[in-house]
Amino acid sequence: MFYTLVRKDLLLELRTKEIIIPMFAFGLAIIMIFSLSFNASQEINHAFSPGLLWIIILFISSLGLNRMFALEKEFDAFTLTLAAPIDRGIIFLSKAISGTILLLIAEIMIIPPFIIFMNLTIPSDWHIMILILLIGDLGIMAIGTIVSGLSMRAKLSEMLLPILFFPLVSPHIIACVKATNYWFKGLSFINWQAWIYLMLSFALVFFLLGFMIFEYITEE
Amino acid sequence: MKLFFSKRINVIVAVAVFTLMVFNIYNIINNTPMIPDQFWAQKIFYFHVPIAWTGFLSYFIVMIAGVLYLINKKTIWDHLGFAAAEIGTLFVVLVLITGPIWAKPIWGTWWTWEPRLTTTLILFLIYVGYFMLRTFGGHPERTSRYAAVLGIVAFFDVPIIFYSVRFWEERYQSHPQVEITKQNPEIIIPFLISLVIFTILFSFMLFYRVHVLRVTFNRKNN
Repeated sequence: MFYTLVRKDLLLELRTKEIIIPMFAFGLAIIMIFSLSFNASQEINHAFSPGLLWIIILFISSLGLNRMFALEKEFDAFTLTLAAPIDRGIIFLSKAISGTILLLIAEIMIIPPFIIFMNLTIPSDWHIMILILLIGDLGIMAIGTIVSGLSMRAKLSEMLLPILFFPLVSPHIIACVKATNYWFKGLSFINWQAWIYLMLSFALVFFLLGFMIFEYITEE
Repeated sequence: MKLFFSKRINVIVAVAVFTLMVFNIYNIINNTPMIPDQFWAQKIFYFHVPIAWTGFLSYFIVMIAGVLYLINKKTIWDHLGFAAAEIGTLFVVLVLITGPIWAKPIWGTWWTWEPRLTTTLILFLIYVGYFMLRTFGGHPERTSRYAAVLGIVAFFDVPIIFYSVRFWEERYQSHPQVEITKQNPEIIIPFLISLVIFTILFSFMLFYRVHVLRVTFNRKNN
């Protein structure tokens, strides 16, 4: 059932592309604004870019989450999903995982223009960055799915989502920025593994909490 | 349901709490020693730390009330959670105000991004969201449920915020709550008295607020 739900989300996105394309376009626009408004030397760009990257990821993920749950509201689709005879925790997991996959795709599209526009040189061990992105996205989407579940039926849900989402996710973002920063400076993994553990524990805590608590969020 | 102050016992308790608070302020101003290099700035210890303690205590109550509400759906837990969230946020705002007043003369800066301060600020921002969710949540029963969930989620976020900021900002600084344990009895005793009085004040406010919420709820539903 979990696979069916994830497949449904991804198939829907494959056919309409109404989440990834706006995320990509919005991300591109922010990159442009950043590079134009700072107009800084390469050293400053290097120092700032990990933080900027995660700010962009945070913005596009809140856009994506909004869209993902707005889709569920159309034609009351979510009620039908809830009618399925499965644990609500599975619905949470499927939403969080498909959100992570979509966010990862959007990031992979965004990062090349980010590197070009910010004039960055990338360390050769880029596969570690994929790992950081993956763990980062898992954490973001775990808490993001809980918060979207809370705000989707509220009035002003588009406004409520970032107001709840940004403070809650802030410790995770600190860890992501730090890990990216150390990787970017070329330090060996042993020096900054604590950050990866912090990101993992954040993702784990909120995956478990979401799994347990989603039933109460979706109850009618 | 009767109004809170229509019961004589509540009036007596209110007067007693007020008297205790006046005594507490008098005690702090007159009966505590001046610390040589801090002077009056140090006196804020006696307010800042008890206020911070009660603030975090009430957020803990929000979490407990949230869990109980999700388990048995009794409105009393919802009212308790809401009241504790309101009072907690009031105290946390006071912490965020009294903290910089102390920090400016001692650290030489109003604000620094350091674990306790950052955790308190982030917690405050989460609770701003909490009240927005309460206001714009839509259906009342659903809003109560969402608020309970958010109270629990916020509570689990606190240790992670604390440790991530602690890793991030590696220098350590002296803190009112850390410093206080190193002092002599002349300081410790008035401090503990203040802590107890603030906790009593907090409990009284909580009872009052829960009562008001219940009265409002009953009037709306009858």
